[in-house]
Amino acid sequence: MPAKRVVPCLDVKQGRVVKGVQFQGLRDIGHPVELARRYDADGADELVFLDIAASLEQRGTRESWVREVAHELSIPFTVGGGVTKVEDARSLLRAGADKVAVNSAASLRPALVTELADAFGRQCVVAAVDVKRDAELGWRVYLKGGTEPTERSAKDWLWELNELGAGEILLTSMDRDGTGDGFDLDLLDWASELPIPLIASGGAGNERHFLDALHHGADAVLAATLFHENLLPIPRLKTYLADHGLSIRI
Amino acid sequence: MSPSAPITLIDYDAGNLASLEGALDRLGLDHRRATTPDLAADRGPIILPGVGHFESARRSLVERGWWGAIPSFVADGRPLLGICLGLQLLSEGSEEAPRTSGLGLIPGLVRRLGPGVKVPHMGWSRVTSHSAHPGLPDAEGGWLYFVHSYALEPGAGTVYVADHGRPFAAVEARGNVLGFQPHPEKSGAFGQHLLRSALAWMGAPATTPEASCN
Repeated sequence: MPAKRVVPCLDVKQGRVVKGVQFQGLRDIGHPVELARRYDADGADELVFLDIAASLEQRGTRESWVREVAHELSIPFTVGGGVTKVEDARSLLRAGADKVAVNSAASLRPALVTELADAFGRQCVVAAVDVKRDAELGWRVYLKGGTEPTERSAKDWLWELNELGAGEILLTSMDRDGTGDGFDLDLLDWASELPIPLIASGGAGNERHFLDALHHGADAVLAATLFHENLLPIPRLKTYLADHGLSIRI
Repeated sequence: MSPSAPITLIDYDAGNLASLEGALDRLGLDHRRATTPDLAADRGPIILPGVGHFESARRSLVERGWWGAIPSFVADGRPLLGICLGLQLLSEGSEEAPRTSGLGLIPGLVRRLGPGVKVPHMGWSRVTSHSAHPGLPDAEGGWLYFVHSYALEPGAGTVYVADHGRPFAAVEARGNVLGFQPHPEKSGAFGQHLLRSALAWMGAPATTPEASCN
């Protein structure tokens, strides 16, 4: 079994890493390369960059920072946001990204996942899925950053993504995201039965939460604010996880 | 002027060259991309990267003339390093493409990982030494980054082994040919160290620009 992975997530807007601040919108926290270097040195196992305002005219900007990050980083990284066709993914992978993440576009056109897997191998394809607990469906899939409900049950959709060719699932609990109350462990219990790796996202507030998520079947744990604000330094987290018997790269 | 030839990176649309170039730059090593064999430096190490499907990569190498050229380079004594799918292409063949064969520069067949483990094997795994190699340090349980669904069985030429459901060859050597199943360019400080050692053994300049001042 590979080591459990600790994965900082960076939101990028117009070539800058940003952070949502309650009631104030977005705050600029630096250049992607700067933060990438810092996390690499801190012992992050991999990085995820989500381009939150990806649009056609910004593709050039994006390729340029992706290329710079690839040049500087000695760990793998995923880029997501606005990937709707094979050519979008190709330009990111050519610029040096290791994997591409697809979310809404895959839900709107599931064949995209298969096209990406056929073109680049399924190891390059991360399916990002945002879910909320739901009386009718158990967990319901949402689009557009959790604002738009679909008719899909998360369980059906995750298995379908596996069939379509996703190489990994980045599963965000919208109920927990930003709360710091811990990951949705019930969600992880069944999602980790998938035969592909699972990245748990949404709710991390302390070391114990990460440990719980990994005990509940996640292969990797993702967080943003905790790491950006240095509320929980990565070396401290990794030492904690290793001390609790998990296989961790230190 | 450096007496050493640049490292030739085979550019055939099936590898993450940006990361590899970044790693070589951080090591202070001179390199150039070559889309066809006539663009390869006339001496010095050659790197065959590779990501994707065995058969489409093989086809791409055939189309660009590399499939025939790589064995000639190796026969001429050029050091060759295959990374990830690059290693698999150097083997005798892969279950991923049962109707074709590999370059046969490294003995053995590449088989699918599993059952009983998640495939692809994606992430950090420890490697341990299997046999000594003059160009590589003792593995000492170091962590390397892997992304693959197929792997070579350990054999006489295996330098490091890793385990994912079963042991497999993580680093393989035969004469002037080396193959890495993991991505040293993506494997943090330990990966950089291995890449530096391997390329120094292959004849690339061992010193970084900073170190050349003393």
